[in-house]
Amino acid sequence: MMDNHIVEVINVTREVAWLPWAVQYFFLIGLSVGGLLLSLPGYAFAKEEWRKLGRTALLVALTCGLAAPVALLSDLHQPGRFWHFYVVLRPTSWMWWGSVFIPLYITGLLVYGWTCFREELQAHGRVDSRLAALYRLAALNGGRNDALIRAAGLFALAGALLVALYTGAEVAVVKARPLWHTPFLPVQFLMTALAGAAGLVLVLNRFAAGNDRAVEVRANRLLAGFLGGVMLVGALWLALGLFGLDTTHAEALGSVAGSEAWHVTAVWAVAATALPFGIAVAKPAGTGLLTGLIALHGAWMFRWTVFIGGQSVPKTGAGFYDYALPAGPEGLLGIVGTAGLWLFLLIALTAILPSPRRPAPGPARAPQTPAGTVAAAE
Amino acid sequence: MDRSRRNFCLGAGAATIGAATAAAVPAAAAPGAASLRRDGDPAHRWAMVVDMGKCVGCQACTVACIMENDVPENSFRTIVSTYEVTEQGKAGSYMLPRLCNHCEKPPCIPVCPTGATFQRRDGIVVVDNTVCVGCAYCVQACPYDARFINHETQTADKCTFCVHRVEAGLLPACVETCVGGARVFGDLNDPDSAVSTLVREGNPKVLKPEQGTQPRVFYLGLDPRFQGKVDGTQTLWRPSAQPHAQKEHA
Repeated sequence: MMDNHIVEVINVTREVAWLPWAVQYFFLIGLSVGGLLLSLPGYAFAKEEWRKLGRTALLVALTCGLAAPVALLSDLHQPGRFWHFYVVLRPTSWMWWGSVFIPLYITGLLVYGWTCFREELQAHGRVDSRLAALYRLAALNGGRNDALIRAAGLFALAGALLVALYTGAEVAVVKARPLWHTPFLPVQFLMTALAGAAGLVLVLNRFAAGNDRAVEVRANRLLAGFLGGVMLVGALWLALGLFGLDTTHAEALGSVAGSEAWHVTAVWAVAATALPFGIAVAKPAGTGLLTGLIALHGAWMFRWTVFIGGQSVPKTGAGFYDYALPAGPEGLLGIVGTAGLWLFLLIALTAILPSPRRPAPGPARAPQTPAGTVAAAE
Repeated sequence: MDRSRRNFCLGAGAATIGAATAAAVPAAAAPGAASLRRDGDPAHRWAMVVDMGKCVGCQACTVACIMENDVPENSFRTIVSTYEVTEQGKAGSYMLPRLCNHCEKPPCIPVCPTGATFQRRDGIVVVDNTVCVGCAYCVQACPYDARFINHETQTADKCTFCVHRVEAGLLPACVETCVGGARVFGDLNDPDSAVSTLVREGNPKVLKPEQGTQPRVFYLGLDPRFQGKVDGTQTLWRPSAQPHAQKEHA
């Protein structure tokens, strides 16, 4: 028995105020930014060998980018008041800057996406179909214009970098939470977002883009690089805390070091990063679905741990706050709903712009997947 | 209109959006500066001194605050954190009344994306819940877990030093009701006030001074072990264990 001990008898339990909606937002906007970056070599810089990967990455950027703001809006407890952001100047608030950067990025992304797909829209417009006129209208009677794609791509890139900056800084400036208050966090968000985006490219490549072997190998190699970066930054963060080189990092580590749940989380995080890294390095062909899914799950769980886990650490009280995922809109329904919206956007986009056909036999398009359904319905 | 009591400082009601716009614009020029403050009388600087030796942990302040401010069930603007402390085999109780510290440098204000939360010129930090979007950024930024989302208004909520009572020349409800006289409220700008005297002569401490927030709630006789995040076994009683959705008023 310890001679000196403190037991907390009465205190307030503060519930999480940033809900799983926020996890979904940071996940989706991260994937979108990552997807955009991965699409740039193939489209904005017209490198043909990156074109196929770039197209799948563009699907990632567009579908995630359009779903993300919905999740963000839903995280507001007064979503109908979102316009209050736009009638004030609040430059001291990173969230306010976010309300400026998000529309900028999404607009840039949509314009860039249109310039990239214009060539395909034009091709669909030439087909003898009732919709051909609509496609021609959407193409604005034009085709591929590399200069335009590059200009739009660079604009979208600027928006993406601003989004990456603000999403990271918004959380990292919160001094009250040592786990968040680290300059590493924006880098970790970006690295895990890139890994997640490469992961989603691998998954979509399998189900919605013709299961291209070259794309798989390239995306797996990229994924390995991003995961290597994730491990490097994570190791640096841990070292600063372990060796007490920085008080905030030591405090952050100290706040969770005694928790069994956080030990499990740490082991899981290492496994979810090292495992796909090893697979992607050792066998980049034929493993894309596995590494992609693990990487996606890793990117999501990183955000879950940061937001929900971070908010379960009391600022003044002893121990940890319990968190149980509610079934309603403030919990599971929010997660599933956002995922559903993303799926709808993917189905809609791939219906309008069918993924390039290839003479592959049926099994390449698994019939139970949405993209497969779309492909079959064509 | 009873609910509006806690937001009485909003005054103009529907016109507050415009007011917030006008007041927030100078933020670009001088972020975080005292000039950003509005409302209230700058002649005062309200503060509280809590004498730890006098608190008996009766929670009368907790209840008085809830009744006065219509705080929703399972939410608290103030609470007396209570600890069992065992030293050399002897057990005793330790009571720590917690509330918004109405900091001189409140970290909750610069993060607010709409200007809904602001500091009055008398130092009281308030939330205009007709402007607040409920983004909860301020909830995250407060180092004292003093803020929460009020699920009746779906906006940020916190202790206001009972600003509506103070304006009427009354004491905050928690001070009025304190059995042991542990809570002392007054004006730091008045050198003869009880709080000024206690702050000057009582060698008070504040919570988490390393956060640089400069709290204006002071504690006399505060044990350093309770100054920051308390290192101990967590709470046995969980007032907010029930999801808010199950509450009758939800």
